[in-house]
Amino acid sequence: MPEPRIDRRSALLAGAGLMGAGLLRPGSGLPGFGLTGSGGAARAQGAPPAEAGIYGPDDPQARRGGVLTVAIANEPPNLDPFHQAGDARTAITVLMYQGLMYEDASGVAKPLLAESMAVSEDGLAYTFALRRGVRFHNGQPMTAADVKYSYDYVRDPANGSPGAADFGAIRAIETPDDHTVVIRLSEPNASLPMTLTNRFGCVIPRDTFANSQARSRLSQQSVGTGPFMLQEFRPQSHIRMARFPNYWRQGQPYLDGVLFSVQPNAASVLVALRSRRVDLALLARPQDAEQLQGQPGLSITSALSLRQCSLDLDCNHAQLKDVRVRQAIALSIDKKAVMQAAISGKGQVLGTIPAAMQESWGAPLDSLPYQKTDPARAKALLAEAGLGDGFALDLVSIIGFEWMDPAAVTIAQQLSAVGIRLNIQRVELGVWLNAFRTRNMRFTFNDWGTQPDPHSLYYRHFHSAPRGADFRNWNNAEADRLMDAGMASADPAARKQAYLGLQRVMDETVPTIMLYSPDLVTVSQQRVRNYVQHPTGWWFGLAKAWIAT
Amino acid sequence: MMRRGRIEWLLGGGLVLIFLAISIAPGLFAGSPDAVAVTRRLEAPSAEFWFGTDETGRDVYARVVHGAGSTLGIVASAIILASLLGGSLGALAGFAGRLPDLILSRAADALLAFPPIILGVVLASTLGTGAGNLVLALAIIYAPVFFRVARAAALVEGGRAYVEAARTLGHGEWAVLTRHVARNVAPAVVLQCVILFPLALQIQAALGFLGLGVPPPSPDWGASLQESRNYLTVAPWLAIYPGLALLLAALATSLLGRALQAGGR
Amino acid sequence: MIEALLRRIGAALITAVLATGVVFLLIRAVPGDAIGEMLGQSAGDPAAEAALRAFFGLDQPIWSQYLRWAGDVLRGDLGTSMRQGLPVWGIVMDAFLVTLQIGLVTLLLAALVGVPLGLAAGARPGGMMDMVVESFTLLSLSSPVFWTGMVLLIMADAWIGWAPPLVYTPPEMSLADNLESILLPVLALGFLQAGAYAQFTRQQTAALLRQDFVRAATARGLPARVIFGRHVLRNIAIPLLTYAGLILVQILGGVVVVETLFAIPGLGRTLLAAIQGRDYPVLQGALLFTVVVALLVNLLVDLAYALIDPRVRGA
Repeated sequence: MPEPRIDRRSALLAGAGLMGAGLLRPGSGLPGFGLTGSGGAARAQGAPPAEAGIYGPDDPQARRGGVLTVAIANEPPNLDPFHQAGDARTAITVLMYQGLMYEDASGVAKPLLAESMAVSEDGLAYTFALRRGVRFHNGQPMTAADVKYSYDYVRDPANGSPGAADFGAIRAIETPDDHTVVIRLSEPNASLPMTLTNRFGCVIPRDTFANSQARSRLSQQSVGTGPFMLQEFRPQSHIRMARFPNYWRQGQPYLDGVLFSVQPNAASVLVALRSRRVDLALLARPQDAEQLQGQPGLSITSALSLRQCSLDLDCNHAQLKDVRVRQAIALSIDKKAVMQAAISGKGQVLGTIPAAMQESWGAPLDSLPYQKTDPARAKALLAEAGLGDGFALDLVSIIGFEWMDPAAVTIAQQLSAVGIRLNIQRVELGVWLNAFRTRNMRFTFNDWGTQPDPHSLYYRHFHSAPRGADFRNWNNAEADRLMDAGMASADPAARKQAYLGLQRVMDETVPTIMLYSPDLVTVSQQRVRNYVQHPTGWWFGLAKAWIAT
Repeated sequence: MMRRGRIEWLLGGGLVLIFLAISIAPGLFAGSPDAVAVTRRLEAPSAEFWFGTDETGRDVYARVVHGAGSTLGIVASAIILASLLGGSLGALAGFAGRLPDLILSRAADALLAFPPIILGVVLASTLGTGAGNLVLALAIIYAPVFFRVARAAALVEGGRAYVEAARTLGHGEWAVLTRHVARNVAPAVVLQCVILFPLALQIQAALGFLGLGVPPPSPDWGASLQESRNYLTVAPWLAIYPGLALLLAALATSLLGRALQAGGR
Repeated sequence: MIEALLRRIGAALITAVLATGVVFLLIRAVPGDAIGEMLGQSAGDPAAEAALRAFFGLDQPIWSQYLRWAGDVLRGDLGTSMRQGLPVWGIVMDAFLVTLQIGLVTLLLAALVGVPLGLAAGARPGGMMDMVVESFTLLSLSSPVFWTGMVLLIMADAWIGWAPPLVYTPPEMSLADNLESILLPVLALGFLQAGAYAQFTRQQTAALLRQDFVRAATARGLPARVIFGRHVLRNIAIPLLTYAGLILVQILGGVVVVETLFAIPGLGRTLLAAIQGRDYPVLQGALLFTVVVALLVNLLVDLAYALIDPRVRGA
């Protein structure tokens, strides 16, 4: 283990931290903090391998050791990547479980447990060469049979995995030898590589779930291939992880362990950062950054996110059945004002796609006619729909999502200008999820994230049943056609055209109003080095982070 | 002894009157609770904003004043509903014979076995949020207490000579129950109302604090305290003043309760 | 005596069973179940949903779910958490020990502060000390306990720049860290319960001083200190001890909000999380546990009262 030392590089980093909130655009490369300085501290390898950039850049300067404390305000109920959809779960399990592919910040799926991927001419067969020397946390080496078992488990609906629908296009999985997996599809699906990433595409030892106790064990013991293994999970308190000594990437991770400390609310996260009891946190409320400005020793960075705060419109609900009413609502809302009220403006106003995908996949906001605020037109549309005298509507907001309260009040004001009287109704998350999944969402707030791929973003939410879930009862044939085209095409340009078309249809028929993406504001103590925030908000970056002394 | 009772009457009564006044006509005491001054966010208390301003630049003083009606109104309605519900069932149980008594008493025991705040959380989750459901939840929590008080009183009164007399005079059971027993049970129930008020107020505030209270933009005190958590160390006035209002309201009714009890002795 | 005791225990058990039945019904009346959280916004496949529901037995009618659960409880099995997959008994026990420790430390604090105050106030009703204690009692009983906690947090930050530690440390790991993490919750709860204890002690003391045997002693010319030591303190010990039990029950029930505020992984927070996540087995187990503990303590308190000196009973 190298001696702790303060070198030129750490001095440089300290400076960068004080500069504060510069937007890191995903895809525009990783923050180049000048990888200079005398090397030789860590390890000397030849040419950097393809996987070197995964999770963040390698750092030859890295000092080994130490446990990094991360504050989280949103605790996962369990750590089971096969039966738990929640973002809070994924954010943490990505450090313990890995898929064949990695959802790179650029929006491209890159090989992770696979070494390479080849697609057949017809787009129906994907051949993966597996990485050698990968071991599970239980010591067992990973083979093709484990991959087949894991993915067969997910795609069998009888196992109740929330990822089952994503894997629906798979017809069969073959294992010609121990290090090759062939996935055969029933129809071309350009997003398959993204499906095999770390949310539901994790690989575990075969027959893990043959043991009836296996599910409960996942909360005490991890069985993945990731850089960290689970040490202790104490609900309502903390999750402790230790470095996996047999991790396939030699010399990594740099940290000895990670401690996730569960905080009751945003305020206690701030207190913890200020009192240096925690090294790293992602602010649930980006506007809290201003409370930390000027605090010595803290670095604050801000990045575009894949999360979206939105309004969903059930196209089968009361007055919302009429497309003109939905258009009128869209035209009445001033998203910027809502964002100002909800998060003090610390985010990006959206059109029809989350902020981190706008550049690569999004339709420009000024090309979309229903993205401007035009109360006069809204009134005319309502009059046309026979609702010129106004009407009353419930707006559902979810308890525990703080941004929704001020946003609701602002939206109520904006809609009252065109005669729509909003009653704000608060429901518990459990109640809300039930209504959502049974397609009874009415007029509601939503807060959700996606992997950086348009198919993952749109298909399940917006494609009509049974292929999609169409939670908003949109049932739009044109949109279906465009989503199918986007899925089938392997040509990036053609895909983009399809999704641009889809966004125009969405803009015009308003099944959802994406309000804004809150910025991903990461705050760290200066001793935290080389942490790169992934736009999903998941903790991938810890695999490459290290602690300076 | 007399002196103490008088101080309590004076202090408690005065405070209760003040709270009544601001609950009924908050507009006389403060401006709008929803007026937003975007440029004046999170300002410390000053001559202009006595209690400072909140995250969106609203006047905390105005919100505390306007919150009184919602907060205290919910608790008062809940207590009255609970006393009607629990009181009448209790009188019935104490008077109507063994089987109904047994069933009702067991049900009351089952509800009383829960810590009030936990029952409150379960009920608020079941019924949903909003002022009406909150009243109902609080009423269900405290109805068993009234039930016990009324039942005990009814058992005593039921055995008294005048009730027997009324029975022998041929009055129907219901007439006896309503006319005689209710009249004599009522004072105990009223006293219980005053005693329970501060307790119910704290439960109401706690539910608001847990997000199960009245939806925004209501300036409910518990909900205000919940919102204040994000600025606890930066803008402590957001937490201090609504909490002080809660404290004073509870104090007022506690004093009144003690005065009433002292008078009854 | 024993027959009466058995009857009491029987009644308590019936109450507990009824109470769990009430919760069983109530919580299932809320839309949504644990499956909802597992699937999140990823759902769409009804087969997967049905499979999960069957896995947890949620496809059965409510009465049959209840009977099965009650049967398991009678056999000493509280079931398995739907969310965490861990045995409910372990989850509840872990959480209970955390809460119990806070409860006991709070009780100690409340007794150390409340009892002397109450004795001093009760010794001379209407005196100066009585007024002071009365004011303290009113203040402490009127302050919402979570607000007291918030004020403590504010003061700690503003005056000494201190904040409680992030992670709760169990006492067996490090007593010092443990005390640091429970300091503010204990102070907040202790402020409330010290008031309650002072009030109770004052009432008891004042009542004892009005007793004939104490008056007689005064008439005999015994010094006040001797009377206090010989008659009051000796007779007040048992009611004060039994009151401790009641306070403990109150703390166990009322700790939910304080645990939420300070991120203490105790019984209250476990219950709250179970309600929000619709983790029925944990919810039922934790509630049953809370109710049984409360009933048991009440039983013990009554028992103690029945056994103590009839003179005190008369008071």
